[in-house]
This record gives sequence, structure tokens and C-alpha cells, in this order.
Amino acid sequence: MEKSQILDEVQAIFREVLDNEEIVLQSATTADDIEEWDSLTHIQLIVAIEKHFKIRFTSREILSWQNVGQLIDSIAAK
Amino acid sequence: MIFNSLTFLLFFIVVFLIYWFPLKYTTKGQNIFLLLASYFFYGYADWKMLPLLIVATLIFYYLGRAIAGAKSEKQGYWLTFVGVALGVGTLLYFKYFNFFIESFASLFNAVGLHANLHTFNIIMPLGISFFTFRLLSYIIDIYRGKGQPTDDIIAFGTYVAFFPCILSGPIDRPSFIKQLQAKRDFNYDQAVDGCRQILWGLFKKLVVADTCAVYVYSAWKDVAYANGSTLALAAILYACQLYADFSGYTDMAIGVGRLLGLRASENFKTPFLSYNIADFWRRWHITLTSWLTDYVFMPLNIKFRDLDKWGIALAAFLNMMLVGLWHGANLTYLAFGAYHGILFCLLILFGKDRVPKHATWYNRVIHVVLTGILCVIGWVIFRAPDMPTAFLYFKQLCSSSLFSVPAYHQGLLSLVSVISYPVLMLATEAYAAYGEIHPAKNIFRISWVRWGWYYVQVLAIWLVLTHRSIDFIYFQF
Repeated sequence: MEKSQILDEVQAIFREVLDNEEIVLQSATTADDIEEWDSLTHIQLIVAIEKHFKIRFTSREILSWQNVGQLIDSIAAK
Repeated sequence: MIFNSLTFLLFFIVVFLIYWFPLKYTTKGQNIFLLLASYFFYGYADWKMLPLLIVATLIFYYLGRAIAGAKSEKQGYWLTFVGVALGVGTLLYFKYFNFFIESFASLFNAVGLHANLHTFNIIMPLGISFFTFRLLSYIIDIYRGKGQPTDDIIAFGTYVAFFPCILSGPIDRPSFIKQLQAKRDFNYDQAVDGCRQILWGLFKKLVVADTCAVYVYSAWKDVAYANGSTLALAAILYACQLYADFSGYTDMAIGVGRLLGLRASENFKTPFLSYNIADFWRRWHITLTSWLTDYVFMPLNIKFRDLDKWGIALAAFLNMMLVGLWHGANLTYLAFGAYHGILFCLLILFGKDRVPKHATWYNRVIHVVLTGILCVIGWVIFRAPDMPTAFLYFKQLCSSSLFSVPAYHQGLLSLVSVISYPVLMLATEAYAAYGEIHPAKNIFRISWVRWGWYYVQVLAIWLVLTHRSIDFIYFQF
């Protein structure tokens, strides 16, 4: 799957989980850029992404991400 | 050497002059000098523990390099594990060892075995949890791939021991090392901001905290005989005292850092305006809660993620228990953590942990007042010497004497002043927050109002300086 397609699908998940249709994701986007994205909603996003793509991240993978781009890379590598 | 002492003033004048004059053009020289000054500052408080700080710094410096150069993920994991075990083990030994021995002894006695266990005379190094947390975040970030090891042992040592922040925080992250490696020029505006923040910190500590402390102390001395209204007032004043004491110290630490051209992290964001308990912990002791969020809450949250909201609630509860225990080995701290943990869990389970964007003003006021009351109740548990006294406090507080006039042993005027100082502090910070300005910044635009405000602070500090200052509450943690 192309990374741009993954980004689109992840963006749709973000919009649904965080209940904000205005969210636009880019590779460099971080939690600081989206008000609703905090330590509590972070895990809900991960669970939703894992279910959608039918994958399972390791703890170290999740804890190493510093922006959306790195999350997309992890999904693409699965 | 506390900030509000003549010794510190003399120490800092010498540091400031050497730092900005002979060493102005050499960042390396400034860092070596800062490191030596920090070790002197720490050694002056407790020289016997200085070797522990230096050895721990060296161990973690080399561990960081070893983790980054690990040949396999497994090796990196084990090296990080050793570092975490060393850091946590040192903390457990100095902070909690006696507590465990006493608990085991009482457990044995309870089941009829008369254990003859002795507690040891362990002296806790000052600020141990603050510098241990800095060391731990350094190696964990390297293991997670979020940070690189530094090859500048001087900057690393200064990051760990930076004297304004070593005794009571803020707990800066390894990104502080980059600040230390960058060239620093004396910036007049930043220095003025630093002075303002020190003045505001001194006002909060000396005027607000120490004035409240007298009333709080006398109420707690005779809980069994105090009337309900005195205890209610003392509970509110204790919350103000704790905030003024800790945030006042933090303001001074940040201000001193700014005078040296360094920016330490903010630790408070008007916590008395919190919308709910979750919001409170985003505004109170921010560097500790964000540290625990990154290194305890998130890993637990990831492990429990299949449990949905229950997993988040469980991770939040365990995290709050740690916040309580971080303050020390005492059942009251554990109960304080459990109390906040339960409140946090309820918010998560009912989906009320967020702050609504468009809440009406009255909805906001009601939430702020209710959160304030919940926090004040929590601080009573925190302040109590033991749980029976905490229960007695609540029992006395809820008696019919709640509607009587609070005690004022030192005259009505002293009661008015003890209430007016925290009100002035909270009103100033709320006004600054309304204008989205830091209270230590230039909150009054009109020149004569601003200068009048400085004089009010200086005059109030001068007035209370005739009384002896008490210790900073947060040094012990």
C-alpha cells in the first residue's frame, strides 16, 4: 500500500476518534499540532489503527514515534 | 543554601559575575564553571552525598553511549534495564527502605510472629528524585530512539546537577543539554524577566506561603479541639501555602536560570483554575506529571490497550499511586495518590476527562470551584501525619462548628492579612492568565502601575522578613 493512501486512511481514523473533521495530517504533524491528541486519546488512536489495518505494533515501536510520518512508516513496514 | 538567603545571594552574585564577564566568550568554560558551581551548591547542602551524584552521572553518561552503540536490540534493552534498575533501586533504597522494613515488621507482628527488624539510619540525599528522573529520561530516550547520547560530559553533568533546579525541580528533559551546548549571550529583556520571576517567587514563598503556614500549623496542632470553620479555612490556606511554596521556589529557580541565559521548563499553569482533576494534573507540577506520563503511564497504557477505557483507567490509577508514593514513604501519600487515582478513573470511565471548548462561564465557574474543593480535600490527606488524624480532621470539619467564626489567635487583623495575601496571589495569576501572560512577565502595561506593583511586592516581602522563614516543603521529595 502506498504511504499516501495509508496517510489518508490514518487521517480518517484521527477525524473519527478525535471527533474533529478539520484535522489534516502531514508527515511532520505531532501531538502538539492537534489539540485533542493527548496521552489519553493517543492509545485510542493506536487501537483504532491496529484494528483498521489488522496489525499489531510493539511497545517500543509506539514509544519511538515522534511524528505521524514515523507512524506511517511503521504501518507500511508491516 | 535556600534561594531566599543571604548566602545564596552572595553565591549567585559571584557566579553571575564570573559567568558573564571572564567566561563570556567561552561556552565550554561557562559550562565547566556552572558544573563546579552546581557541585559546590549541592555539596554545601549535603557534601556527603556529592560522590553519589557524581558517580551516578558518570554511570549514566557511559550507559547512554553503550545503549546507543548496542550491537543488538536485546543488548540495548538489557543495558537500559540495568540503568533503570540502578536509578529506581537507588530511589527505593534512600526513600522507601525503612518504610518497607516497618511495614514488614508490623505485618509479621499482626500474624503473631514477633519480628525483630531494625530500621536503618538512612539519610536521604536532597533532590534525589529530581536528578534520578533526569538521568532515567536520558537513557530511556536513547533506548526508544528519541534522543542521541551526548559526547559532552560537562554539559551532561551540568544538565543533571544544574543548581537552580537540583533541589526541587523543574525536572528538565535531555533537550536541556542542547541549550547548554549553544552559545549564550546576555539578553537584557530575558534577564529582566528573570528578575521579575524571582521577585514574584519570593513574594509567593515569603509573603503568601509563610504567612499561611502559621495559621495552618496552629490548626493542625490541635485538630481535636479546633472548630470546623478553622479547619475549613486551614485546609484552603494549606492548598494556597503548598502552591505558593512550591511554585514560588520554581519561579525563583526559573528566574535564576534565565539570568544565566538558560530556560528551565515551566512547572505550573494556574492549577487553581482547573476544570477537572485531569486538567489539574496537566497544570500542577507539570514536569513530574509529564515525566510519569511518558515513562510510566504510556507504557502501561500500551500494555493494557486491549481493555479499552478500563485499561486507560487502570494505567491512570497506577500512575496516580506513583505520584502519591513519589512524595515519600507514608500511607497518607499513598492514600492521596489513590484518592486522585479514583477521581481520575471516574472521569475516564464516564468520558468527562476533556475540557469542553465552548463551556459557558457559569459551567466553568462551577467546575473550577468543585475541582478546587476536591483538591483541598486531597491536600488534607496529604498534610495529615497519619490516616486517623486525617479522618479526625474531616470529622471535626463537618461538625456544626463549621458555621462559627474561625479562630484568630493573633487578632482579627492577622486573620485578614492571612486571607488577603493568597487572594492577592490568586487574583494576580488569574488576571495574568486571562490576558494569556505569564504572571512573572510584564502584566501591567501602564508604567506607574507596574512600578507600583513591584513596590507592593518588595514592601510585603520586607514586612514579613522580620519573621523567620521556614523550609521549602518540596525539598524533602
